[in-house]
Amino acid sequence: MGLVIIFAVSGIAVNHKDDWNPNYRVEQVVTSISAQNWSLDNDTELANQVLAISKIDEKVKTSYWASPTQFKLFFKNGNNLLLNLKDQQLIYEKIAPRHVFQAFNRLHLNETKASWVIFSDAFAALLIFLALSGLFMIKGRHSPWGIKSLWVISGIALPAVYIFM
Amino acid sequence: MNFYKLLILIIATIGLSTAKAEQFGEPVDNASLLKISTIMAAPDTFLDQQVTIEGTVVGVCAKRGCWMTIASDKRFENLQIKVNDGDMVFPMTAKGSKAMATGKLNKIQLNLSRTKALLAHRAQQAGNEFDENTVTKPMAIYQLVPTGVEILE
Repeated sequence: MGLVIIFAVSGIAVNHKDDWNPNYRVEQVVTSISAQNWSLDNDTELANQVLAISKIDEKVKTSYWASPTQFKLFFKNGNNLLLNLKDQQLIYEKIAPRHVFQAFNRLHLNETKASWVIFSDAFAALLIFLALSGLFMIKGRHSPWGIKSLWVISGIALPAVYIFM
Repeated sequence: MNFYKLLILIIATIGLSTAKAEQFGEPVDNASLLKISTIMAAPDTFLDQQVTIEGTVVGVCAKRGCWMTIASDKRFENLQIKVNDGDMVFPMTAKGSKAMATGKLNKIQLNLSRTKALLAHRAQQAGNEFDENTVTKPMAIYQLVPTGVEILE
């Protein structure tokens, strides 16, 4: 049951990765600031100025000039703060990992060790066995060979339709 | 410990292990270390050899972790390292950390329309004006395809 849930939940998450980031929650807060006498020749002083104005109390990992008008601070917790001199804006980006989804996706996409690949191959083989054995295990009026074969056929036909669409 | 507690413990352990990613692929080769500015000054001369670069991670692919942008020792210059989806998954939280990467430089020759689109995107990111009529020649971009990456704190 656990494996089915992992593959199903991660499958939905990965299917919608263009609309939604399954691994991280990323929030941006844009703040307009007034013109300042920025210490453009001293990155440490500039960083302190930016921190004071933004009122953000986080430990700085490093700073970086992305362009002559964009100064960025990276924080130890993974967040970052961009000073845009041209537009007089501060853009604070908060990055929070989605730990459970990350773990599920990591397993689903086989980003772990080779032993997991063997384990998930075995699970896939068991699913194939489950699907095929179901054709022969049930007898009588619930057998998939009578009217219920329509379910079996539709299960094959639906993916085929999407392949040839 | 009942089943549910064990399940939560397993998920939390996997989650924490994904949050702390440091070594990817093969070990980094310090002997082939070069400055990014040296490589980018004449990239075509480095296409057939293994190189190692180091610098601050300033960008990471948000959805698949399949690329990172490494800042050069030269201002406003950087080099992207790129892997196939899933080969290595770089964490977004690596931004601002030092990283080293060993691999081969890959040249991607763009046509004129893709060159204009790329330069327009770069100008937008940098907050600059851009006139596509000023671009008359196609350009090439360079990416490092790594065999090993190390993210240092």
